[in-house]
Formats: sequence, C-alpha cells, structure tokens
Amino acid sequence: MNKLLRTTVALAALALAMPSLAMPAFADDAKPLAGQSITVLLPSGQSPNIASDFEKETGIKVDLQMLSWDDIRPKLITGLIAGTPPADVTEFDWSWTGQFGAAGWYEDLTPLIDAESIKDMPTASIFTVDGKLLGVPYANDFRILIANKDHLAKAGITKMPTTIDELIADAKLVKEKGIAEYPLGVPLSPSEGTSTLWYLMTFAFGGDLFDKDWKPLFTSPDSGGYKALQFYVDMLKAGLIDPASTGLKDSDVHQMFMDGKVTFDLGVGPGWVGAFEDKTKSKIAGSTTLGLVPTVSGKTVSYGLPEALGIPAASEKKEAALAFVKWMTSKDEQIKLAAEQGLLATRTSAFEELNKQGKILDGDVVIEQAGTVGPLFKQGTPTWYPQFSSAVNNAINQAAKGEISVADAVKSIADETAKAQQQ
Amino acid sequence: MSLSAVLPARRSREKGIDGTADALLGLLLAAPIVIAMVALVLFPVASTLWDSLHRVNPMQAGTPFIGLQHYQDLLKDPIVNEAWRNTIIYVVICVTLETAGGIGAALLINQAGRWRRFVLAAVILPWALPGVVNAVVWQWIYNPAFGLLNGLLVAAGLDFEKYVWFNDRTVALFAVSLVHVWRMLPLTAVIVLAALQSIPADLYEAARIDGASRPKMFTNITLPLIRGGVAIAMTQSTVAAFNFFDEAWILTGSSRGTRPILVQVYLEAFQNLHFSYGMALSVLVMFASLAVSLVYVLRVQRVTRLD
Amino acid sequence: MELRLSQRILLGIGFTVLILWSIGPIYWAIATSLTPTPDLMSQPIHFFPQRLTAYHYERLAGFGYIASNDVTVALQFRNALVNSIITSVLATVISVFLATLGGYAFARLTFPGRTVIFFVVIATIAIPGYTVLIPLYRIMIGAKLLDTYTGVTLIYLSAFLPLALWLMRSVFQQLPLSIEEAARIDGAGRLTILFRIVMPLAAPGLVAASIITFLGAWGQYMVPLIFSPNKTKPLTVLIPEFSTKNFVDYGLINAGGTIAMIVPILIVIFLNRYLVSGLTAGSVK
Repeated sequence: MNKLLRTTVALAALALAMPSLAMPAFADDAKPLAGQSITVLLPSGQSPNIASDFEKETGIKVDLQMLSWDDIRPKLITGLIAGTPPADVTEFDWSWTGQFGAAGWYEDLTPLIDAESIKDMPTASIFTVDGKLLGVPYANDFRILIANKDHLAKAGITKMPTTIDELIADAKLVKEKGIAEYPLGVPLSPSEGTSTLWYLMTFAFGGDLFDKDWKPLFTSPDSGGYKALQFYVDMLKAGLIDPASTGLKDSDVHQMFMDGKVTFDLGVGPGWVGAFEDKTKSKIAGSTTLGLVPTVSGKTVSYGLPEALGIPAASEKKEAALAFVKWMTSKDEQIKLAAEQGLLATRTSAFEELNKQGKILDGDVVIEQAGTVGPLFKQGTPTWYPQFSSAVNNAINQAAKGEISVADAVKSIADETAKAQQQ
Repeated sequence: MSLSAVLPARRSREKGIDGTADALLGLLLAAPIVIAMVALVLFPVASTLWDSLHRVNPMQAGTPFIGLQHYQDLLKDPIVNEAWRNTIIYVVICVTLETAGGIGAALLINQAGRWRRFVLAAVILPWALPGVVNAVVWQWIYNPAFGLLNGLLVAAGLDFEKYVWFNDRTVALFAVSLVHVWRMLPLTAVIVLAALQSIPADLYEAARIDGASRPKMFTNITLPLIRGGVAIAMTQSTVAAFNFFDEAWILTGSSRGTRPILVQVYLEAFQNLHFSYGMALSVLVMFASLAVSLVYVLRVQRVTRLD
Repeated sequence: MELRLSQRILLGIGFTVLILWSIGPIYWAIATSLTPTPDLMSQPIHFFPQRLTAYHYERLAGFGYIASNDVTVALQFRNALVNSIITSVLATVISVFLATLGGYAFARLTFPGRTVIFFVVIATIAIPGYTVLIPLYRIMIGAKLLDTYTGVTLIYLSAFLPLALWLMRSVFQQLPLSIEEAARIDGAGRLTILFRIVMPLAAPGLVAASIITFLGAWGQYMVPLIFSPNKTKPLTVLIPEFSTKNFVDYGLINAGGTIAMIVPILIVIFLNRYLVSGLTAGSVK
C-alpha cells in the first residue's frame, strides 16, 4: 500500500516538478565538513548574519528556517512524531525538556561538549535529563524586576524595592501621586506568561511548587503559591494592578510599560531591555532601570527560562549539526550575537566580558540576579508540564476575575495536576 | 445507495449509443481526482483512524492496540465535554447571527440600485481575506486599552474604558463568534441574494395589485421562495462553525471557557503529546462534521431533483 | 417601486451600518499600518492616525531608512510575496483544470461508481486538517516534496479540488444539452465538444472556481506552516514572525497583513460578478 502510494505521489510529482539543479560543492582541506549543508530551525528575530558567518568559518551551508515562537512547536512535533525531524539543529525550550527527554527524540550531547563549556553555562543543568544533556543553552532568560526610572524619580523613590512590602508601598506612592494609574504590570490572561510570573511570585513569597515526590506545595493558605495568588487579588482590589490585565499577555504588559503606563514590570526578563530602550518602539526609552526581584524575605530569587540548541536523534548530519551548536554557543559568537540581536549570553564568561565593556544596562544588577538563577523544577521539567501550566493560568485568570476564590483556584490547579500526572 | 441507483439510470436515457466509450472517458477524466484524493486525503484518514485504535504516545514505549479505549475515555473526559459544549454554543451563535444578518444584508443589497456593485463588493470583502490576518486585526480591535471597539464605545459616552471583552465567559463566546460571523456572513448573504434574484418580479407585481403590504409580501412570497437557499446557507455555516479554530486560538488562546473542540485536539496531540488520543478526538470531530454535511448534501440533492 | 422618505432614510441607515461593519475593521488595519509604533499606544485612541508614516512599508520594501535587520526583513517579505503568488496560482490552475475535466465527466458521462465517487470526494470537505496532518507529512517526506512548490501545490489540490469539482459539475449541469447533442450529430468527439464548445460556455464558472481556489490557497496558514518552512514560505506564515520573543512589531504585522489583503481586495473589486455566480452555483440551482 505504502509503496504503491509513494509511486503514485512520486509520479504525480514528476509530472508537476520543475527540474532543480544541485550545485556541486568543493571540499576544503582546512574545513573537514565543508560542502555539507544542514537545516536549523529557530524562532524569528535571529541575527541575519548567522548563516553566512558560520559558512565562512566552517564551509558548512546553513539553511536557517525561522518561525514565530508559537509556530515552532506544532512544526517540530509534527516532524518528530512522523519520525523525520524538520531540521538538524532545532530550538529546544526549557519547558520541553521533560517531554522530549521521555520521548528520546534528542541526541545526548554530554560526551560531545567539553566539560569546561558546560561549567561556563550554568543553565545547562535545566536541559539535562537522567544525566543526558539534550540541548546546549544559547539564549538566556530569567526573571528580573524592570522599572520606569522617571516614575520613581517623580514619586521621590530613590532605591528599587527589595521586599514585597516595599514594592507595594512604592506602587501606592506612584498611584497616589497620579504618575501611573496601575503601577504594577502583571499578565493575568490564560497564557504562558501568566503561569511563569506566578511561579516567580511563589518563590518570592518563600514557597516552592512541588516537593521531591511531585506533591503540590501551593495549596495551604500559608504556602508561597497561595499567598502569591492572594497578592494578585489584593493588588487588583487596591487598584495597583490594572483590572484589564485579565485580558493581557506578558507581551501586552511590556507594551504598556513602553507606553509609560506601568511603573514596575514584574514578569519580564533582561531580553526586553533592548526594545524598551529603542526610540522607534518605545516612548520611555532612556528611563528603564533594572532591580533584583523583590521577595518577602528581602533575599532575591529568580529562575531560568533558557533556550537551547538540540540535535534530533534522527538527524543524518550530526557532525555538521554539532559544529553549528558549538559555534553558536561559543564565547565569541555569544558576544557577537548580544550586539547583533540583543541576545542574552548563556556563558558566564561572555556575560562578564560584555558587562566589562559596559554593554549591559545595569549590568551589575543583571549579573547578581543571574547568580540566583536556578531551575524551575529541581527534578527537571516534568512531562506533564503543558497541562500544569494551562491549569495554572486558567485558574489564575478565573481567580483574578473573581469567578472563583483563591482557595478554589489552587485546589483546581492541584486536581488538574494530579490528573495529568496519572496519564 | 438508493440515490446512486436512481441517478445513473435516469442519466443513461440522455446518453447515446456509445456508452462504453463514455464510461472509459469518464473514468479517465475522473482518475486524476480520484488518485489525488485517495493518496492525499483518504489514505491519511485511514492511517489516522488506525492510529486512534492504538496508544501512540511518544513518551511511552510501544504502540499497543487498545481498540476503542480512547473513544470511551473521550466520552468521560470533562475537559473534552466542555470543549464540545463551547463548540455547540459557537455553532448556535454563529448560525443564528450569520443567517439573520445574511438575510438582512441580502435584502438590503437587493434594494441598492446603482450602488449595488459597490455595496456587494464591500460586503464580500471580509470573506475573501486570509483568516489568520483577520483574527489578528480583530485582536487589535478588541484590545482593552488601545482597541477600536472600546474607543468607539467610550467616544459614544459609554463606560467601556479598558473593558476586557474576554473576561466574562458569555461575552467572550460572543466576542469570538463575532469575528467568525464577520468572515462568514458574506457567504450567507450571497447565497440568499441569488435566491432572492430568482424570484420572478411579476409575483410582487400581482401581490401589489391585490393590495398586499410590504411585510405581507415578505412573509408570503419572499420567505417561502428563499427557504431552500437559506437552509443551504445555514448548513454551510454549521460546518464552518464546527471547524472553528483560528479565531478562538488567536483571540483567547487555550482559555478553557472559550476553547472549541479543534483547539482541544491541538492541545492533546501537540501540547500534551497524547498523540493518538488527540487523533481519536479529531476522528470524532470528522464524523460529527460529516453528519452535518450529509444533511447539506442531501438537501442539495433534493433541491436539484425538484427542478 | 417608489419609496417613501422614511423608508429611504431607513435604507440609508441600513447601508451605512452594513458598510461600516464590513469595511470598518479593514480600515482600522490599514490605519494601524500607517501609524508610527509609539503612537499606537495612545489613550484615548485616535480614529484617524495623528501622524502618518510609510515607515513599516518602507521596511518591508527595503528602502528609506534601514535598520540593521531590515535588509533581511525586506528580502524575506519579497520572497514570501512571490511564494504566495506562485503557490496560489499553481494550485488554482491545476485544481481548476482537473475539476473541469472531472466536472464534465461527473455531469455528462456515465461510468461505474460515478455517484459514490462524487459524494466521497465532496465529503472530504468536512475533514479537519489535523486529522490528516501527520500521515500527510510522512507522505511528503517519503516523496521528498517538503518545502517544494510541487508538494504544497499537491496538498492545496487535495484541499480545494472537491469544492472546485462541485462547482464545475453544477456549471456543466446547467448548460443546455441541446448544443452538445447538435455537435455530436455533426460527428464531434467528446473531448472536442468539451474543449471547443462546452468550456467557452462555462467560462464564467471557470473564473469563479479559479477565484475561490485562489483565495482559499492565498489564505492558507496551517498547511504552509508545516509543509513550506523556508524556500516556499508564503506571507501568511511570515507575518506572525514579526512577533518575536522580545518585541511584538504590530506596525510590521499590520503592514504585512494589509499587503496580504490587497490581492483579495483587488479580486473582489474587479471580479465580483464571477465570484457571486460561483459562490451560489454550487448551492442554489
């Protein structure tokens, strides 16, 4: 059946296809892999020079495919399930680690990447499942506090808040002086950004998501997760969070920050600073300032949401693919990409170098925050992460709209999670 | 089956003597279509049906045969049932609004006189645009702070400052439906318009001489004569609303209160990686959609045969 | 029929509402695409852009002020525009050609399985895309047709043939048999009749089927997302890419969207007559 089908399709193809000519490639002695070509699948917004720079250096041709962030996953999964990955090197998000690890879709890179490099990339641990390194981090992201310097100055605030109480007090002051109507920027729509901020706030309130047996730790009223959600509800009531936030994704909140409507952008990473400080995009260029994530105790916390490059196990050009992964995560290239596309380097050495050159806004704060970055899940991202995240943002959205109580919301998250764990 | 038995028999009377040559030519001309549809649609459907009887989950080893297990589980899955419920609500809202609006638009266009061409073009436009583009455009219109809709309502003196259209479940279902209605209403309007134009003008003339009022003419002449067209338009709206995806996905993401059944298929198969479970659900959607289409096809057949 | 003044006013209001409802959102997209990005976030909103800018279009076209990434943006955009046109035209020409042959066969020739085949083909309209996505991907990989015009065209063909076939069949059924019979008596063969006599008569139907197929292919999203990742990527897949992880470029999205709308808008304005006859031919006879 299959064979017949293929013949049919191939015949139909023959009838329609225009002949295409392949250019012969000439190998270069100094570049052992020269002449090979690989495909690379990354989210849009990458530097346009990646393919040409890499080819210049290694002679390997790169077919760089870019898709919008939301479109990468369906594209990738289709190929992986069908048994033919769409590219030889692909995006590998931190949140996919559990699922992709369990599916065995990606090559173990542990023996292929030198220990020195792995040590230089603290977030590599997030992509490690059962001792296997499935992706090499190329773009860093973690949570930090970003504020509007002008707003703070007008309100007479001289230092960034380090505790939740200070944050609330500052926000109240800004509101009372009429500088911003809703100073706290918090996404509350049923979307991923809502979940990721709640995880951070759970930590900030001194809690954690799960214990070592994956039992939820956010259901009792004195838990961090419960208090974090209560904080949202209280801040909505106090008029410090915009009630319209229940319709906003994280990117919408960042847009409002750029419009000068928000004083403290809570669910944001340093990667957005580039857009905030760009006059063609932002009205508040020049007034961005960064601070450490405030917590109840005053001791800052954060967690990483890095992106990595992985090589699908079914790729037929693993050597050339590996060369690309090594090149893009090298210190030199990371520094170059930081300038070209505002990429946040994953190598500590690259990061420090950039800071020394004064290339990072409030670099000392960013480095200090980077030092506190750990994985979101200590045991690694679970396979049921998508269901968990969806349960979290749906419940938060409902609680913020006042449809259900905080207690019911955390209970529904726990119930959904238990169900997903069983499947 | 009865249809297929009746129709060729009736046709063969029209045919000449060279039936065999015609049959051969007919098969030859239809062959490319049959080959394309078998290779690119029917074979993939069969393959998915087969997959849905197995447990295909890339995170678990092996793909054991499990019979109808997935289908049984689907019937009991509360989230799936909620998605079905949303889909049915979408169907009801969309079909009602598209039919009422479509008839209204068609009646208006029929009165347009020399502006007809222009009005008709304007009305058809939304249907011609790429679906994704119009969902993105509407997302911007519904934006609580910078959107056109709240802007207009505030300018009209109403308290819609920063009103979030997707907060309340009922309002959200309506708001999402409206985008779909905007795109699909033109189709109903055009179908009804064609039916309107097939009504002979002398019928109205005769009614006017009898002294019938306008509303009376509408209920006694217009409505009965466009009924066939309206029924077809309604069935078409129903099938389209069943396959609702882009608008809901772009406007409200995975929100459970507004999630239609095809978004649930996507989430199960591509997000949660319960691949064959998602495929089983897509098979159910296919059968539901086929059942509705069957009504449509039979309806057309009947209309055709009445001529 | 003469209308009273009150009726005229009522009609006027009706038309105004209808036109605003249909064109309002399109106007808003175009207005947004001409507004400088920082102005987009203004409250209260302005119904007419306060300052006009062609900046977003210049970036897409690749001239005027060029930021570091814009050379690629313009290049990608030009390729996507060309790809959209090529794939839509290919799909249209082949679908309509096959649908014409098939439509004639299903309307005029008797052959075994005719009715069953016709209904099965039409029924495939109701199949959701996700049901066939993964098997189709395997087929395309096997035939090495991923990211080729041939591959995308074949998939569009399988998606749009049924509707085109349905249309063409009803167009042929509406043509009077007498002309064909006269030609047959003169000794003309079936194919001669089809190409020389029937096709010219069915021309409006052909145009309608072409328009519907073209618009359908032009607006496709999921299919090219999976099957045209790069070399054959169309506009609909490129436009969402202007929303990146660290910035959502609404200006570029709306400008790109506006250009993606222009082709359908031109078609509707200039070929409206055929479109209406085509949309209705399949359903109201």
